[in-house]
Amino acid sequence: MAYPYTHEKEVRVLSRGWGDPRTRTLEGWKALGGYQALGKAFEMGREKVIEEVKASGLRGRGGAGFPTGVKWSFMPKEKKGPHYLLCNADESEPGTFKDREHLRWSPHQLIEGCLIGAYAIQAEHVYIYCRGEFFEATQVMARAVEEAYEAGYVGEDILGTGHRIDITVFAGAGAYICGEETALMNSLEGRRGLPRVKPPFPAAVGAFGKPTTINNVETLSAVPHIVEHGGEWYRQWGTEKSPGTKLFCVSGHVRRPGNYELPLGFPMKELIYDVCGGLREGRSLKAVIPGGSSVPIMSAEEAEACSLDYEGVVECGSMLGCASVIVMDDSTNIVKQVRRMVDFYAHESCGQCTPCREGTQWLSRILVRIENGRGREDDLDTLLELGDQMTGTTICVLSDSAAAPVASSIEKFRDDYLALIRRGEKVGAA
Amino acid sequence: MSDSVKPSGADEIPFRNPGWAGNTGEFDLTEELVRGEEYVGDLPAHGGHPGRAPTYPYMLKDREPEAPLFEGPYEERFEKIRSRFPTARAALLPALNLAQEIRGHISQDTMREVGGMLGLSDAYVRGVATFYTMYNKRPVGRFLIQVCTNISCNLCGGDEVLAAFLEATETEMGETTEDGLFTVMEVECLAACGTPTAIQINSRYFENVTPADVPAILDRLRDEAS
Ligand SMILES: Cc1cc2nc3c(=O)[nH]c(=O)nc-3n(C[C@H](O)[C@H](O)[C@H](O)COP(=O)(O)O)c2cc1C
Ligand code: SF4
Ligand code: FES
Repeated sequence: MAYPYTHEKEVRVLSRGWGDPRTRTLEGWKALGGYQALGKAFEMGREKVIEEVKASGLRGRGGAGFPTGVKWSFMPKEKKGPHYLLCNADESEPGTFKDREHLRWSPHQLIEGCLIGAYAIQAEHVYIYCRGEFFEATQVMARAVEEAYEAGYVGEDILGTGHRIDITVFAGAGAYICGEETALMNSLEGRRGLPRVKPPFPAAVGAFGKPTTINNVETLSAVPHIVEHGGEWYRQWGTEKSPGTKLFCVSGHVRRPGNYELPLGFPMKELIYDVCGGLREGRSLKAVIPGGSSVPIMSAEEAEACSLDYEGVVECGSMLGCASVIVMDDSTNIVKQVRRMVDFYAHESCGQCTPCREGTQWLSRILVRIENGRGREDDLDTLLELGDQMTGTTICVLSDSAAAPVASSIEKFRDDYLALIRRGEKVGAA
Repeated sequence: MSDSVKPSGADEIPFRNPGWAGNTGEFDLTEELVRGEEYVGDLPAHGGHPGRAPTYPYMLKDREPEAPLFEGPYEERFEKIRSRFPTARAALLPALNLAQEIRGHISQDTMREVGGMLGLSDAYVRGVATFYTMYNKRPVGRFLIQVCTNISCNLCGGDEVLAAFLEATETEMGETTEDGLFTVMEVECLAACGTPTAIQINSRYFENVTPADVPAILDRLRDEAS
């Protein structure tokens, strides 16, 4: 949380005002300069808005890191029917807990971002798809939308410009897979949340069969600041290829877990040992997952050398994902934690693709066997082979995500697996 | 070596954030302020502005399994929901949410009724309803307690918290206590990983929960129920 801790190294652009309940009100948001960017965007015109976002180098914060301005420019210029903007607030990647804070502390920042985005891609309706479990945060968001309607920022003739943009807050009903963009569209349409085969891409055929753009909460929340201050301004933080600030969600074995807004490229070592207060007394670092449960696990050495930008993490053998840093000290039973992640994917697989539906179940069964001291050495090869077959063979990347922690942990923590297998040791309760 | 986090050794879990009401920072935060209760205000049954209408609780404390669907203010809300989407089908999830809010669970009959109102077949609605975990296909206790045991919580003792709830309620996973008050379940990551262990009780989150907190939480719920 940015509250009650705020570290001096934080650069609080998006999280400014978090912890102050006034920020979530329309009045409080305006007092912080809110809704200025919206007026400016209408003056700039949509082309210029997209150019500015491109210039900022803002990359999608939902996990893939695709440049937002470029994504917007894929939308048809000539409008033939409705366009839609979907805001992905289905945050459910294990280790990630930033979007909930965005929804409940700075809902108007997101509304402003949604309006600017919708204007840029000529969408008349924005759906904010909130995770079903987020009842409280969704209510705050929904109340803010109501307030914005009452004040004339949303709806007909926004700020007297003649533009009409509607916003509807939508609540999901519990399914991790609905965070995948095409599954989210199906879910919004009242279907089961099954990912769609691409192409066609959403910019051509998206929600309700119309051109659609989908952006993460944090991505859209950055937009008003970029429009207000310019793309160059945003580049004062971060690296050439990963500009700007990012919310880092740190969880696990650190003294001060929480959300910290830092410039991209921030050293992981400093994040863990300084910003988050380091590990428990007498413990040492064992492993780190830098981007939520879907990315490869890192050894302590890799982690300590890693700089937290999209490229830097790839160089160290993993991915930044949504910057959800899960820290594990030497008390951790890696096999158990990997099994727990795999169980998650087995539970959340939508079941459309055989490698994913069957593969996640098999991974889980073999890992349980190893964990309980009934594993065999050739199980490791079986796991790796299964993982291979699950990678790049399915409609969406959930299947790859399930295989990633298994393969990377066998590579980096083989001894942990072997110890369990050889000793036939049964693992304790935790 | 296995994880060394033990239920009794609170000193081994220094991951306890001050949490909601830490008050160590710049602001004097109460739980209500963090949750935004003042700002949200009372939730009108008719749903308020249509842009807000599709989002409502799944899990009220009081529910009536036989209550009529979408009458009075709820009918108004149902109409608002329909007005927000270009197709009738898209109103299905919000309509099921609303049905669950009123009745507490989604029975086969409820699926049929909701489908009938939206012109969708029985089989279709069942297919959708069974896809999503938050629809209770059977009645659950007055308080549905869902404990996250996913990785971040697990690293900080989520399994122990789950065990403590099961023990204190003397139930098996998913079973409801005889007095109808509690159903305890395991849940996947609740996106509150920085304040482990995270649990959800009906529509509300509780964070930084340790096994030692369990009796007090259950007492609080029993008070609420009486
Ligand atoms: C299995 C799966 C789950 C995903 N879950 C989320 C999610 O919870 N939130 C999110 O913003 N993006 C999620 N994504 C990424 C989205 O598909 C999409 O890339 C993203 O919302 C695009 O927004 P951005 O360009 O702003 O990052 C998920 C992807 C996959 C494959
Ligand atoms: S990879 Fe898995 S989750 Fe993704 S579409 Fe296929 S079965 Fe569904
Ligand atoms: S792992 Fe428990 S809330 Fe995310």
